[in-house]
Amino acid sequence: MASIARCLRAARPALKVPVSRVCSARAFSATTTCNDPPTDALRKYTKEHEWIDLSADLKTGVIGISEYAAKALGDVVFVELPEEGKRVQAGDAIGAVESVKSAADINAPVSCKITAVNMLLEEKPATINQVPEDDSHGGGWIAKVSVDEQGVKDLDKLMDEKAYEEFTATEEEH
Amino acid sequence: MNNVLTTPKPHPPPSLSHPQSPPSPRTYTTASLARPLQIYRSTTTNPHLNLSIEHDLLTRSAPTSTVLFLYTNRPSIILGRNQNPWLEVHHPLLRRGLPGSQPTIDLLRRRSGGGTVFHDLGNANWTVICPPAVFDRDRHAEMVARALQRLGVATARVNERHDIVVDSEAEAGGTYKVSGSAYKLTRLRALHHGTCLLGSENLGRVGALLRAPGAGYIKARGVESVRSAICNVGVGRGEFEEAVGVGVEEVGEEMGEVEVVAKGWKELMSPEWVYGQTPLFTFSTCPTEEDPRERPPLPRELPAGKLQTNLTLRHGVITSASITGLFDSTTDKIISERLVGRNLFRSPSTKDLDVDGGDGWASILSAAVGSASSDSFATASARTDSVEALGKWLDGMLPVLPLR
Repeated sequence: MASIARCLRAARPALKVPVSRVCSARAFSATTTCNDPPTDALRKYTKEHEWIDLSADLKTGVIGISEYAAKALGDVVFVELPEEGKRVQAGDAIGAVESVKSAADINAPVSCKITAVNMLLEEKPATINQVPEDDSHGGGWIAKVSVDEQGVKDLDKLMDEKAYEEFTATEEEH
Repeated sequence: MNNVLTTPKPHPPPSLSHPQSPPSPRTYTTASLARPLQIYRSTTTNPHLNLSIEHDLLTRSAPTSTVLFLYTNRPSIILGRNQNPWLEVHHPLLRRGLPGSQPTIDLLRRRSGGGTVFHDLGNANWTVICPPAVFDRDRHAEMVARALQRLGVATARVNERHDIVVDSEAEAGGTYKVSGSAYKLTRLRALHHGTCLLGSENLGRVGALLRAPGAGYIKARGVESVRSAICNVGVGRGEFEEAVGVGVEEVGEEMGEVEVVAKGWKELMSPEWVYGQTPLFTFSTCPTEEDPRERPPLPRELPAGKLQTNLTLRHGVITSASITGLFDSTTDKIISERLVGRNLFRSPSTKDLDVDGGDGWASILSAAVGSASSDSFATASARTDSVEALGKWLDGMLPVLPLR
């Protein structure tokens, strides 16, 4: 994701609800609820507002854009999905989201290989606005990936949910 | 090496061959790309080169810098990133060109979002590239609107679509669009570019150029353009550029020698980008569940009330096809199956649409028919007539692009 959260101020509705209170943000773990944050949560966020969920064995993951970014972008009218089978480095543009005349890059949070893409977004791009942090069937996740050692190392540079929440709160103040 | 902008070539111009020599005229250097404020004006009117320079500025200017880039293009039509050339553009008119201009009008796809626009020498383009922190969707349009006000266009203002409009003199409360905006956001940078109709001589022709004959049969994913009434602000290019950007440096044709710019230029020219980037769409001659619109009537030459064509295209390639009522059902089925995988754009890298002999739909259909079982047909000539009629009609509605 591009650094949209700050730059699209004009299009952004007031966002006062912290990301962590949004149920869909936790959809990746069946055992967790909104009131009970996952203890095995390997969801991390980038400063550019992508998230990645990593499996417990650190081999596979799911990528998407954050609730905060989805709100900032406004109505998503098209999602350019990543290319299946492609290997990318952390920070590489893997796809794009179009909303309100803006094409915003989606970047790889870590080095990875794209193993599957969410075809639902081709038909229903607005899913990104509704459940951007849902990595289940019907959710707004963007791609599934496999991760190697480098990818796991890249994870260290990302923020956990709490840090990301604080980060977006600072962006709000600008 | 301080002269990294130059392309390694077998016979470079003398000024480019020595890293120590000053930069060649009308190019920017790595040093200028590092400056906090950069203002460039292009002297070339080549749309591919200008868009490629613009993209290069987006990717290589210092992340903290602000860049203003001003350019005008020869007559051309620029699709938004996620648009459909079969739905947005009247290709035969494009090929015919404009009176007194170059033979054809160029068709490009830009990297930013938004709708299709027409460019010519009377329509100035302005681009602002800046850090995301200082960007919002109206900021730079407002900068241009203020410049127009200084030049006497008193009613210029930014509307809710982030376009610049002026009041209509004829109609109270009415407005005309004079400038449209589009954006491209990358990890480190935000790009806002817009047009500004200063004094285009082609205003009366734009509507027809942006009306595709087959639009009534096409349902497309992605982004459709929004039509607006347009007018010129009646400002000269020189005074506009002076009002928007003070202290302008010129860049010109020489930029095409810069390796990364040349590469971007080539990408913008490639049929895979212009046509192959098209989001999924359907072409259907009858109402469907997805697209229940009444369809425009088919011409008399086609078997009325009988013939139905349903095609789905992804990236400009047919992914599913159903033609019924052309011949008997078995033959129709075989023909339909054979259409799957056909490209509807010409490209040196696509083998099936033979680069030289591709006569559009007539050759696509006869290839499919020719290899279908001939036993099931009445006569060869009836077969040829039907194929020709359907081919001719499809060439008008869903042409193989670019036209020749």
